[in-house]
Amino acid sequence: MTNVMKRTTRLSTMFAAALAVTGVLWGSGAAYGLTEAEIANLKGPERQNILVAGARKEGKVTWYSAMIINQALRPLAAAFQKKYPFVKLDYWRGSSRKIVQKVLAEIRAKSLVADVIEGSGLAQPMVKAGAVQPFYSPSLAAYPKKYRDPKGFWAASRFSYMGLAYNTKLISPSQAPKSYQDLLDPKWKGKMAWRAGSESGALLFITNLRLTMGEAKAEAYLQKLKGQKVINFSGSARTLVNRVVEGEYPIALNIFLHHPIISAAKGAPSAAMPLEPVPSLNGTIMLPRGVKNPHAAMLLIDFVLSEEGQTVLKKANYLPAHPKVDPKSSLKPIVPRLAGLKENFVTPEILFEYRKKSKALFDKYFR
Amino acid sequence: MTTKPEAIDSLWMPKETAGFWRRARSGFGYSPAVIILAGVLLILIVPPIIFLFQTSFYTTTFAGEFDKFTFGFYTELVTNPRFFNNFVNTTVYAVGSAAFAIALGTAQAWIVERTNTPFRQYMFLVAIISLGIPHVLYTIAWLLIMGKAGPVNDILRAITGAEEAVLNVYSMWGMILIEGVGFAPLAFLLLSSVFRSTDASFEEASMMSGAGISQTFRHITARLAMPGIMALMLLIFIRAFESFEVPALVGLAGGINVLTTDIYESIHMEMPPNYGQSGAFSVVLLLWVVVLLYWYNRLSRHAERFQTITGKGYRPRQMDLGKWRYLTAGLLVLLFLLIIGLPVSIVLWASLQPYYEGVTAGSLGRFTLDNYVEVFKAGSFRDSILNTLILGTATATAVVPFTALCAWLAVRRYKGGWFLDQMATMPLIFPAIVMGVAFLQVFLNMPFALYGTLLSVVIASVVREMPYGMRYSYAGLLQIHTELEEASAVSGAGEVGTFLRIVIPLVAPAMITCWLFLFLIAVRAVSMPILLVGPNSQIVAVTLFDLWENGQVTELAAMGMAWMALMTVVSCLFYIIVRRYRLSLH
Repeated sequence: MTNVMKRTTRLSTMFAAALAVTGVLWGSGAAYGLTEAEIANLKGPERQNILVAGARKEGKVTWYSAMIINQALRPLAAAFQKKYPFVKLDYWRGSSRKIVQKVLAEIRAKSLVADVIEGSGLAQPMVKAGAVQPFYSPSLAAYPKKYRDPKGFWAASRFSYMGLAYNTKLISPSQAPKSYQDLLDPKWKGKMAWRAGSESGALLFITNLRLTMGEAKAEAYLQKLKGQKVINFSGSARTLVNRVVEGEYPIALNIFLHHPIISAAKGAPSAAMPLEPVPSLNGTIMLPRGVKNPHAAMLLIDFVLSEEGQTVLKKANYLPAHPKVDPKSSLKPIVPRLAGLKENFVTPEILFEYRKKSKALFDKYFR
Repeated sequence: MTTKPEAIDSLWMPKETAGFWRRARSGFGYSPAVIILAGVLLILIVPPIIFLFQTSFYTTTFAGEFDKFTFGFYTELVTNPRFFNNFVNTTVYAVGSAAFAIALGTAQAWIVERTNTPFRQYMFLVAIISLGIPHVLYTIAWLLIMGKAGPVNDILRAITGAEEAVLNVYSMWGMILIEGVGFAPLAFLLLSSVFRSTDASFEEASMMSGAGISQTFRHITARLAMPGIMALMLLIFIRAFESFEVPALVGLAGGINVLTTDIYESIHMEMPPNYGQSGAFSVVLLLWVVVLLYWYNRLSRHAERFQTITGKGYRPRQMDLGKWRYLTAGLLVLLFLLIIGLPVSIVLWASLQPYYEGVTAGSLGRFTLDNYVEVFKAGSFRDSILNTLILGTATATAVVPFTALCAWLAVRRYKGGWFLDQMATMPLIFPAIVMGVAFLQVFLNMPFALYGTLLSVVIASVVREMPYGMRYSYAGLLQIHTELEEASAVSGAGEVGTFLRIVIPLVAPAMITCWLFLFLIAVRAVSMPILLVGPNSQIVAVTLFDLWENGQVTELAAMGMAWMALMTVVSCLFYIIVRRYRLSLH
């Protein structure tokens, strides 16, 4: 019995500690007597001072992002940490779907850990669930309107152009498929892989066709593509490109076009091939409702959207959203407006609206 | 227990009522320990079951809250042809890998227990060290070895002259092979006890009657061991049926779905997550495991009809294989390579590379220690290793005394003791991922913040490991004769005193191995924690899984190496204690 009692005491102590910590953290948001909404929408010269003072007290910020850790998250975190050494930045990398699942679960369980979230394709479900807080950020004035939500729920943090990656040891650049029609060539049967069920993978591939070809033609195309036995892959886009580098799959569809270019720069046998019209997506950055460290969260959001933060992304071979920060010249061939290619910009709203039917088409033809 | 209050009661209460109150005060003859333990068990086990069923009957809102009652998730299962397809996949996979594991395990157990092959005694150590390798790391290692860019395909390409990869490991046979090899050490440990407890006189008689070694093995050894093997086969079949790592890492990439990955996908592939679907899948899987476990119990009971332990003194006999023993030694070396040698080598190789491109001459010049630097830096990797050590320690420390007490009350037939036994064994019917789904719902619906904390993972893990603790303690306690406890009681000790001062010291060695065993299985689990951990409660096995999904293979390998080194220390400790006290490994 003593054992049981000890165990119960231990558990209840842990419970009490957890409750106490939660209470303290909740309280800290109101350091200046400001609500989260007020902090998120501070304007004018005092904004930075209040945020810095508040963040100093909070001392930490937790960021969930779909960006690849060793390519983009680490350099961004390091640059932020250098600028604000008094805020400890923790990040967790997950797919957009996992981020949505985690954050909604955390809100429901009243134990929100995330302070800032970022990814492609997570804006709409978060807004629909009423789980994000509209915010303002000074750098946004420079951004084109379509890169920000009119109500302020999200802002574009980066761009992604989707297309095909291939292994240059297995396929020469002249042979590589250059159009959607080329993908139906029997010689590619069983050699192409895409990310099953992923927002920016197979689903965006289908959505893009529906948007640009029309429903009937798109479905006819998918029927033919079914015969090509596209491999359903279940990791991240980065992992899929790694598999192309390893030669596991000669071709990957609808991956982030900058990934094979980053690898090629390191000597890996990979190349990118945009297929017209090139679907483009924006990564979105958001502030969940009820975060524990609102000041630090806003500092991080401001930083990511600023020229400074966007330049870090540029150096990491990502595609910045800030209009004043041009992508690296090595990436120009995949940026439609710079390469003279047709682009299909898929907004978070359209991506989400089209999701259900695209998923149904995917299940019908490819599972 | 003075008589005074009773006397007062009986003055003004009707007789039956007075008896009722008296019995109520003394707990209706239940020991207070039984009542408290039963209460704790009910609190731990009932909510997950209720929430699991509720989840499968309710739609959820965008934010994930229960919305409307529906049978829709079940009708969808029945009407969806994919469900039956996946059920068939699951069965083929489970039967295949169980058969393969048993074949490897039987060969190994026979060589080790029944022959004079050199090195045979080291196989126990190999099996125990392999217990410390997380299954997810194991699976990844085999994917690196047998993937299209891996050394196996390179060799085959060189031999056949083919331009493309010859083998596709992301297939059913790949899953069966990897799972089978992964389960082989367990099959070996369990089977070696079957062979050890078999009376060798039948074999001797066979040999004396002129049968050769292979004839004796086929007609005598294998037949005697058959009931044990069949029961084990079913046990491993159940484990494979519930397994998650291989289906998630190999099957999903190859387009082969099984029930456990269906559950995982309905939470992680849908947006918003389809909790109802995951609930319905989970309930179906749970009921099916109940049926399988019922068969298993019947089978292992029937196994007694083939009693092989007799009152006669006997020693397991070792056959002299003569020259053939070099062949069996070669087989053992091969098994060692399969179980530890090759997987660890490829992980070590990958951990020293800037990016993984298979085993090529070009990568020889690229050796780097950067990945290790990243792992040992303060940050997520180190946190996750620390969290995992806390998880394993807390789980084992909570489960061992708790189940020891339950088992003692059950073995000594205290009133209600059978209930404790049943309840503590009950979590066995939950496949790990189903328990993850159930606890996820419990924590999401808690009035206070528990979801995503390490404490929540510990609670779920305690429930998950309870049956194993129970089995260990039960077996350990059965061996202790009551006379020692009776002596203690006669000398005036109460039940708590007797338990603490007589029972605990007697079973201490068994408890220590139980603790280490629970620690080892708690830290390697993936499928339950993957649904429960948050960014601040990352644990090694889940981090490895995430790193694989994120494509950070080389850092994954470095972390895997560091973890395996730590766990080898724990496994060796386990082995030393087992040998020192001559304990059974099962």
